[in-house]
Amino acid sequence: MQQLLNELNFKIVETLNLVDVAPDDIDPDDHLIGGKLGLDSIDVLELVMMIEKDYAVKINSKELGAKVFSSITSLAKYIYENSSEIS
Amino acid sequence: MKVYISGMGVISPAGRGIQSLKNWIRQSGRRIRPLNLFTVSPENLLPVGEVSESFEVLEIPRCHQLAITATQEAMAGSQAPPDAVIIGVTTGGILTTEMHLKNRVSDPKAFANHAVGSVAEYVAGKYHCKGPVITVSNACSSGTVAIKIALEMLRSGQVRRVLAGGVDSLCRLTYYGFKSLQLIDPTGARPFDQDRRGMSVGEAAAMMLLVADEATQDNAVIEILGGGLSCDAYHPTSPHPDGEGALNAMRAAIRDAGISPSDIDYINLHGTGTPDNDLAEAKALTSLFGNNLPPLSSVKGAFGHSLGAAGAVEAVISAISISEGIIPANTGCQTPDRKLGLDPVMAPIAKKVRMVLSNSFGFGGNNAALVMGISREKKPPVSRPKKTPFTIEGSAGITGVGDIKKTMENISAGKDCQGMSPLSEISKFLQPSVTRRLKRLPRMALALALAACKNANLQETPSSVFLGTGWGPLSETYDFLKKLYESDEQFTSPTDFIGSVHNAPAGQVAISLGANGPNITTTGGDYSFEQSLLTASILSEKMDAAFLVIGADEFHETLSPLFDRSVNRDGIRSDGGGAICLKRSDVSSGPKICSLFFENTADNPYIIQTLIGKLGDSREIEKRFGIIMAGIPAAFRQEGERQLHEFLSISDFHQPVIDYRRLTGEFASASAVATALAAEFIRNGKIPASLCDGDNHPLNGKGILIVGFGKFVTAIEITP
Repeated sequence: MQQLLNELNFKIVETLNLVDVAPDDIDPDDHLIGGKLGLDSIDVLELVMMIEKDYAVKINSKELGAKVFSSITSLAKYIYENSSEIS
Repeated sequence: MKVYISGMGVISPAGRGIQSLKNWIRQSGRRIRPLNLFTVSPENLLPVGEVSESFEVLEIPRCHQLAITATQEAMAGSQAPPDAVIIGVTTGGILTTEMHLKNRVSDPKAFANHAVGSVAEYVAGKYHCKGPVITVSNACSSGTVAIKIALEMLRSGQVRRVLAGGVDSLCRLTYYGFKSLQLIDPTGARPFDQDRRGMSVGEAAAMMLLVADEATQDNAVIEILGGGLSCDAYHPTSPHPDGEGALNAMRAAIRDAGISPSDIDYINLHGTGTPDNDLAEAKALTSLFGNNLPPLSSVKGAFGHSLGAAGAVEAVISAISISEGIIPANTGCQTPDRKLGLDPVMAPIAKKVRMVLSNSFGFGGNNAALVMGISREKKPPVSRPKKTPFTIEGSAGITGVGDIKKTMENISAGKDCQGMSPLSEISKFLQPSVTRRLKRLPRMALALALAACKNANLQETPSSVFLGTGWGPLSETYDFLKKLYESDEQFTSPTDFIGSVHNAPAGQVAISLGANGPNITTTGGDYSFEQSLLTASILSEKMDAAFLVIGADEFHETLSPLFDRSVNRDGIRSDGGGAICLKRSDVSSGPKICSLFFENTADNPYIIQTLIGKLGDSREIEKRFGIIMAGIPAAFRQEGERQLHEFLSISDFHQPVIDYRRLTGEFASASAVATALAAEFIRNGKIPASLCDGDNHPLNGKGILIVGFGKFVTAIEITP
């Protein structure tokens, strides 16, 4: 799980081109949207695509997205529970 | 001056021809079906508003075919060609381009009709239009914006007949793009329904021949009474949560028509079916109309959202509603969302309709509204002064060597400024939090806008933004399609889709500046900046506030050599642009700029004589201008040089001529750089010696004429 969290931090920075953010500085329990990172709905959609591609986990509704993307911890938890590729 | 609809034509999921729409209005019913036009995997299959005709001629893209079909009907009763063509388009020939890129076609000829601007040029060519051709690429409000520009052009008295409308065909870019934004309702759009989940993408074309007349015509004739434009300046895709921009556009349209909200008998809603759009529109409507809302409906649950065409199709539907006395149903909605406080028309209503308000809103926070109605006796509005010059308050440029200062230094030292500035150089004054989602073109646009404002040193920030781009955001378009194809059409980038829209850069500028006035992107190859300046001139005559006119294009390794025939694969790769911050001259002083001439070379053998006639005679030209800056795109080198030679010999002009593409390199908006340079020359009162055979060339109070040659001939005057 910790490995997944670290991996997600890195992928979020890379996918969203957060040039002034170091992956290690992201607090996994911070609000992902509207928090320190300054992410919005477009970023969520970009992450949805990345997660589907890299973990084969679909997040295809706004309601689900709002829940899953509340923090990196919640995102990691959702991926962990729904991915067949992570054991 | 009044503006009437003299002819209309349409092709939509309801069928071909006005009669098909009339039939649909009476019968209602959904015309949304699973996609058939191109193959997608079963899990990607979504309902769309598709036109049933297949159009077999492969060289001519579907979008062009749709446009010409609607035009044929609109022009059927008319012998004389239109004086101008103004069409809203968002993706042009991309459906064909997508196929060629997938098959790795490398012959630029295959992409000859790729450009978004090529649709209007195709229509203008077929209908022998000698005048200006403008393509508005303002996402989903394009069609409505095109009609508003036509209205103002006709009101100004410069032209008598304008062919205006909108068109878009289905394509992978928008199909997968909107899907990636999770904005598609898998069961088909249900505007204003309590369970609505999104839109359906559609395709269509609708054209109107609009004519200007001083006199009030027969009662049956429908008049375009007014139009209003605004920008949310809030977010690239989401509408302002309270519908502030939508409200401003509707208010402006009603004011422009000289009526009050209570005069409106029917509102044709934008109503895409997405939760946020419908909510914002509902809020704006209740703010404006309170409890006195007239009957209202969106047709997007029937036809889907045909993007650039939608506003034009809905203007045609509004006109039919008036002429036939029938209000169309808000198809697709089962249970209206009570939270919205609207009561959409559930089945067609027979009712006398005198005046209609039609809304269109789009990405980039672009809002447009039109008021149409049965012509009635009223005092015509006070005629406006023609051709107001504008003062250049500030200017900026980007070339291969850097900003305008570095460009001037290079030119003064006898060097050119071809090449591409590094992305880091372009972005050096931009915030990383802003640029992280922006690729090359929007960064250029933003950097140019900020530099022009800084140079202007005004107390106010510009309220309107006009941007011309020959090819739009190429990096985003390419990256989107690349990711799509590499993943076997499974994955895309929503960020790239949003960025690929031609008006995304202008939208970014508006957000950065808080510019909530009209925000218009025009496109038409090498004449895109000229289109933008012309559009700005037409729309800004009534505005006291400052506005920006920007021209920018990026070089893209793969796409530029395929799309732009002036770009030589082996030549120096160049890009850049220019921006000017303008104010009306009667409220400001300084160097002045005026868009003087814009004509189509096709079917126009006396175009150079016409230009000279517009400028006066040879004595007048010699007296007014100290130098000519000539723009000759490499693709039209031979023809352009012939035109320049003809101009010089007829006008007997003996002052220096700067062939400016030799300095800037080849890219569509090189003329925007030329304009920024000309502003510098005028401020300095002289032309650098390096450009005039070794001697500084004083202007002695004379102006500079920037002439574009090739497919179109254009002229911009800059005077002290």
